[in-house]
Amino acid sequence: MAGDTDTEMKTVHTDNINIDNYRKLVQTYLNLHAYNTALFWADKVVALTSGNPRDIYWLAQCMFLLKQFHRAVHLLRSKNLDKTYILCNYLTVRCLLEANEFNEALKVLNSMDMEVFLQANTISSYNVSVEAGMFDDTPKYQVQSSVLLLKGRVLEAMDNRGLASDCYKQALQCDVYCFEAFDALTQHHMLSAAEEQELLSSLPISQQCTIEEAEVLYTLYKSKLKKYNTIVGIVPNKNKKLIFNNTPLQTSTVVIRKNFANVLDTTRDTSTTENTNISENEVNKNLDNKVAMDPSETSVQVRLQNSLDLVVSQAELYYYNCDYVQCSKLTEHILKQDPYHTSCLPIHISCQVELKRSDKLFTLAHNLVDLYPNLAISWFAVGCYYYVIGKRDSARKFLAKSTSLDRLFGPAWLAFGHSFAVENEHDQAMAAYFKASQLMKGCHLPLLYIGLECGLTNNVRLAERFFQQAQLIAPDDPFVMHEMGVIAFQNLEYKAAEKHFQDALARVKPIKDSIVPERWEPLLNNLGHTCRKLKKYEEALEYHHQASVLSPQSAGTYSAIGYVHALMNNTGEAVHWFHKALGLRRDDTFSTTMLNYVIEQLSIEQLPYPDAPDYIPTFELAATTGEDNTTHESESINAGRQISASDMSIEIDISDANTFIKE
Amino acid sequence: MEGEIIQTKLDLINVKKDLIIGIRECAQRGLYHSAKWLAEINFSIVDVTLPPDVHTSNDLPLETEAYLLAKSYFDLKEYDRCSFFTESCTDSKARFLHLYSQYLSIEKKKLDNMTDSNCPPDPTKNNALRQLCAVLKEDYFLHKLDGYCLYLYGIVLKKLDLNSLAMDIFTDAINEQPLHWGAWQELALLVPDKTTLLSLRLPDHWMKSFFLAHVYLEQLNSEEALDIYYDLHSQGFEKSTYVMAQMAIAYHNRRELDKAIMMFKDLLHSDPYRLDNLDIYSNLLYVKEMKTELANLAHTAVNIDKYRVETCCVIGNYYSLRAEHSKAVLYFQRALKLNPQYLSAWTLMGHEFMEMKNTNAAIQSYRQAIEVNRRDYRAWYGLGQTYEILKMPFYCIYYYKQAQQLRPNDSRMILALGETYEKLEKHENALKCYYKACNLGDVEGTALIKLAKLYDKLDEADNAAAAYTEYCLKEGDQRGVYETENEIYNAYQYLANYHLKRGQLEDAHAYAYKCIEYDEIKEQGKALLKEIANRRGELEAQLLKSTDQSNQNLTDCTNDGNVSNMEMVFSPLNN
Repeated sequence: MAGDTDTEMKTVHTDNINIDNYRKLVQTYLNLHAYNTALFWADKVVALTSGNPRDIYWLAQCMFLLKQFHRAVHLLRSKNLDKTYILCNYLTVRCLLEANEFNEALKVLNSMDMEVFLQANTISSYNVSVEAGMFDDTPKYQVQSSVLLLKGRVLEAMDNRGLASDCYKQALQCDVYCFEAFDALTQHHMLSAAEEQELLSSLPISQQCTIEEAEVLYTLYKSKLKKYNTIVGIVPNKNKKLIFNNTPLQTSTVVIRKNFANVLDTTRDTSTTENTNISENEVNKNLDNKVAMDPSETSVQVRLQNSLDLVVSQAELYYYNCDYVQCSKLTEHILKQDPYHTSCLPIHISCQVELKRSDKLFTLAHNLVDLYPNLAISWFAVGCYYYVIGKRDSARKFLAKSTSLDRLFGPAWLAFGHSFAVENEHDQAMAAYFKASQLMKGCHLPLLYIGLECGLTNNVRLAERFFQQAQLIAPDDPFVMHEMGVIAFQNLEYKAAEKHFQDALARVKPIKDSIVPERWEPLLNNLGHTCRKLKKYEEALEYHHQASVLSPQSAGTYSAIGYVHALMNNTGEAVHWFHKALGLRRDDTFSTTMLNYVIEQLSIEQLPYPDAPDYIPTFELAATTGEDNTTHESESINAGRQISASDMSIEIDISDANTFIKE
Repeated sequence: MEGEIIQTKLDLINVKKDLIIGIRECAQRGLYHSAKWLAEINFSIVDVTLPPDVHTSNDLPLETEAYLLAKSYFDLKEYDRCSFFTESCTDSKARFLHLYSQYLSIEKKKLDNMTDSNCPPDPTKNNALRQLCAVLKEDYFLHKLDGYCLYLYGIVLKKLDLNSLAMDIFTDAINEQPLHWGAWQELALLVPDKTTLLSLRLPDHWMKSFFLAHVYLEQLNSEEALDIYYDLHSQGFEKSTYVMAQMAIAYHNRRELDKAIMMFKDLLHSDPYRLDNLDIYSNLLYVKEMKTELANLAHTAVNIDKYRVETCCVIGNYYSLRAEHSKAVLYFQRALKLNPQYLSAWTLMGHEFMEMKNTNAAIQSYRQAIEVNRRDYRAWYGLGQTYEILKMPFYCIYYYKQAQQLRPNDSRMILALGETYEKLEKHENALKCYYKACNLGDVEGTALIKLAKLYDKLDEADNAAAAYTEYCLKEGDQRGVYETENEIYNAYQYLANYHLKRGQLEDAHAYAYKCIEYDEIKEQGKALLKEIANRRGELEAQLLKSTDQSNQNLTDCTNDGNVSNMEMVFSPLNN
């Protein structure tokens, strides 16, 4: 930028004033953020040079930095510079965008013929715009990319997301380093996971940078991709895929998770199975001490791990794998280093919501609102706080504020929907989710939630359709699979339900004996219900027991186990489990009814005491011997009685399993 | 089969060596109860001296600064601080302290919150515990838990009601650290029955005998427990207060109350400031209605430590004996505030609520007791009683059955079961229960008459008569008590009728004559006597008429029971 020394421009030599000095002044003050001073001198330079476009451009630049958008626009357009100079055009549009005049911005954008500019560049024949197009030595492809990015932003602001995403993609094609375009595409959920993958592989990375750089860039971008469909056990390798290609794949999840910690000292040992006790704290320490490490021992990749962005993506990964404790540890570590790390905050807040840590949310929201009252995320935090403490009205108020500040802020829309959903306001919730789904084309979550709401309003067919759509976007997300299973269950297609649940389970639990997050307890329970319906009672019991290991002391699980036992005619066991269930939830009508039934059954079918004879014993005078144990044990009198599901119309309510996915 | 386990002679020198190591290890980890237990055992073999070369006291490894800091916080009950400063420690002791202090912190907070409200904490609000469990689970899968941490994992699992898993973990913990008594003790609470006990893979360690005896005692298998304790007693642990107390409890379970009281007196003589197990002693005194001893015990306990669960129970029992039930409840509640897992207090409080006719509260208490220990037959029995009051006989049967299975040789349970069956008009089952109760000794003395009545109801006249006869023999000399009197003359009347029907006029006459002794059935008795006299007259007349035929008839009557049924129709007083 500091191209003041170029002398190709005509300088007007007044008596003893060197205009270049003034230009230098302008630059210096701009660098020092003394915009008013810069403006003053820029104005004088313009006066002195009587309207050199480049000087006018800088004058407008000063105005822009002073947030005097309309003034800048007027200046540029009055000189007609927005039609001739690409950078001036760019600046005009920027100003108009900031001033929220999107139509005007688009008009200005379209008034400049990009093709001419491009041709002028490529042909490099004599053309005014070639010279005039660029003031400084900014590479043309970057300018082009910036213009496209800007166009994308204008279009997105005008709710024309389809075209906008095209623009972003083009921008990225022009300049693979243009992170903002990539970020806009990913963070605003414009693309589905598959499309993101496609985009990343289609980028001309190798043409625009060296091999080493390409690897770095690829890794960095990849860390930003969607993570719904990834499992901790498989994905964390991506960060170090280039470092140890020889990581044994059969290591258990936990070990792989640990790999992340080991990344920092991989060169020392790559055997990840040793039993040293690496707590998360140490990870943090390692990250802190990273600088102190011998640089020769660490590759670029490893050192890049130091970047908080990559830690954020790791945290995100934990989040989507429902490992909220781990995620919260990471985000707290990040926020300790950078208290207002923008991309970390949404994850952090969501995580605190999951963990219901209202105290932390309270402090955070207060800080954010004090410091950044204009950021959507601040009000999002406030809304989340109220959501967690159960004041939904206030939550909605602040979430609405958040969305009004940044209409593209998806999480706020979803939370807005949730706040309705927990109050069973299905229609309102759906409206919010629909809005979110429009904003986040590439994200399946809004569709999933809409489907859930449909399911809760007994509109199973519609729900199914939404889930199918969601599955189109995210075919590997276990949540979607689970919901598909629930729908199949409700449609009495138990075989299909079982398959869906099994698929989901396979995604959640890639390796036998690996740790499944607690969140998946409903999945296991639903599998149990399905197996019960399919009369696979042993399996059903197995799943319910697994569920109770995941989430102990849950009345629902206990009464489900009791029910299976009742169907298996293990009346004694059934009584035991229903008792347990009622111990935890006393107003459980299903368990109460079942217990009444089962306990009656038990008293009929069981012998009065373990070795009771099956005949009426004869009384012998003065004989108090009890040696009539030789009698053959009688089978229980009514053992053959079958409990059929039909004569007990109460069905374990599976719908409350649906709701778990919210929040 | 435990004989073969026990017969291995204990090598007291090795035991002592083990004990010294165990005490140190446990104390360093803040496992004070285990350390105390080991130290008590160690003290009981004070005469055994170690050869000088075995002393290994000064090879203590140097403790890290973090450990020492954490330990001091731990000792001062600043658990959160302790866990914070040990977060990154890797050595086993500090790691254990880190996890254990987290657990204790959770428990302490739960207790502290309980002081505000009188109800026990909601078991479903256990997020912190679940998180701790997740941490332990992860370490477990990585095989990073040592014996003590495994024990902690087991404790957490048990708290989360994952008992079968907890049992495996405790077994692992014991195999790694056989000297940690706490793990044995927890395992003992989880073993449901003897078959499971024998299937456990336990190390062949001298601690195993203590464990087995403990389990047998827990399972109310007093005989086998006593065998082991006698054996331990004879092998050098004769001074162990622990063994003495356990034996006393075994006697208590066998209802040899006097012996148990003797044992406790001895125990208090050698260890006057001991509070452990005193609640059982107070139960004994209560049952024997030894008011002064109980008062004395209560005073001593208060002097030693007012805020111990045992003390509270003793006082509660004392008030209960004085029929001040609400005061008793107050003290049991205090005990439960001190330790919500304290079994005796729950059960006793249930009893008190029963006395106060507060069935709902009683049910709550009993249920809590069962939550703490499913083998508490008194709580099951109490539950049965409450549901009897609530007129829910099916539940009643279930609870009594549980109690009966736990105490198969206790006639009270089976009697209660029989009564419930009778209420449900399941007479056969009821009859079987009464029959069994009679066979078991019939502590309360009501089973026999009930049995007799049921036989009667089921038309088993011979059996009924036999039972009534037995009853009359037993109870004949006890008079004055209104209820029994009522039953007795009913019995006499029945027997008189019975014998009359069968033509056994001599017996009939004897019983009818007895009937006259009671005002209520005097008239019936007289009528019977008249009838008998008539019959005699008829008989004599018949005898005179045709001796051979009537002889035949007579033998038929006396020998064949089937005929008696027919004759019942003719009898005027067929009740």
